[in-house]
Amino acid sequence: MQYLANPNRFASLANAALPYIWAVTVALLIIGLYGALVTAPADYQQGETVRIMYVHVPAAWMALVVYTAMALASAMAIIFRHPLADAAAKVAAPIGAVFCFLALVTGSLWGKPIWNTWWVWDARLTSMFVLFLLYVGYMAVWQAIDEPHRAAMIARVVALVGFVNVPIVKFSVDWWNSLHQPASVFRLGGPAIAPSMLWPLLVMGLAYAFLFLALQLVAMRSEIAARKLRQIRIADIGDR
Amino acid sequence: MDFAAVHTGFVIGAYGLSLVLLAGLAIYILARDRMLRAEMERRREQP
Repeated sequence: MQYLANPNRFASLANAALPYIWAVTVALLIIGLYGALVTAPADYQQGETVRIMYVHVPAAWMALVVYTAMALASAMAIIFRHPLADAAAKVAAPIGAVFCFLALVTGSLWGKPIWNTWWVWDARLTSMFVLFLLYVGYMAVWQAIDEPHRAAMIARVVALVGFVNVPIVKFSVDWWNSLHQPASVFRLGGPAIAPSMLWPLLVMGLAYAFLFLALQLVAMRSEIAARKLRQIRIADIGDR
Repeated sequence: MDFAAVHTGFVIGAYGLSLVLLAGLAIYILARDRMLRAEMERRREQP
């Protein structure tokens, strides 16, 4: 990990890897969407509405994974003082927020025809909404504080304290009575979904993960450039 | 997929919104990257 601490080394590695990551992302999205919309059967109870699952569930997975990555990066920034850890957490937040927003809205679009309501304040939905607020709060810290070191310190605390919510989201359906169905893929005893529905879901999950990786690398490259430009501008002001 | 089935609009809405938001996010991140790298190049070329 320290090998990637040098921003120039990181940028050149990202430049080399990005074309392959984009290619894998596009291929996985095409295969996943084909599976989700063409080969996967309609559900015997939910009918065609079940197809919302193939965009809703991967978005929810990624919302949790990205926040976990932000908390890990924030911990690395505190423990190892890794120079790119804060940048990694900072640029991951808007991507995670979009995944979280998509999980909430596509879940709502699924809930209306199946539950006959757009929203209920049950444990899973509420904890997911809290996760979205944590993303917004984390981004607000970076926007509100001009001094980068101070913003980074407060943002690390927000990311680490907010991480408490991640297991609450995951296990909310087990800990409390919830309208939301319990875990059906990552659970003890193996997946409870038919293979014809499971493989498109897993491929879409992988596609979203690769999309995140591609966007994260591009955004980190941008953040490195933005930091350099900021230093150049400060030096220019000092020279005048 | 049966487009004549009931509630198909919810499915199209979910996929459409996912496409718009994820594509929009990707375009924003790529455009910002291009702009910042172009400015870095301009700064490097300046004496």
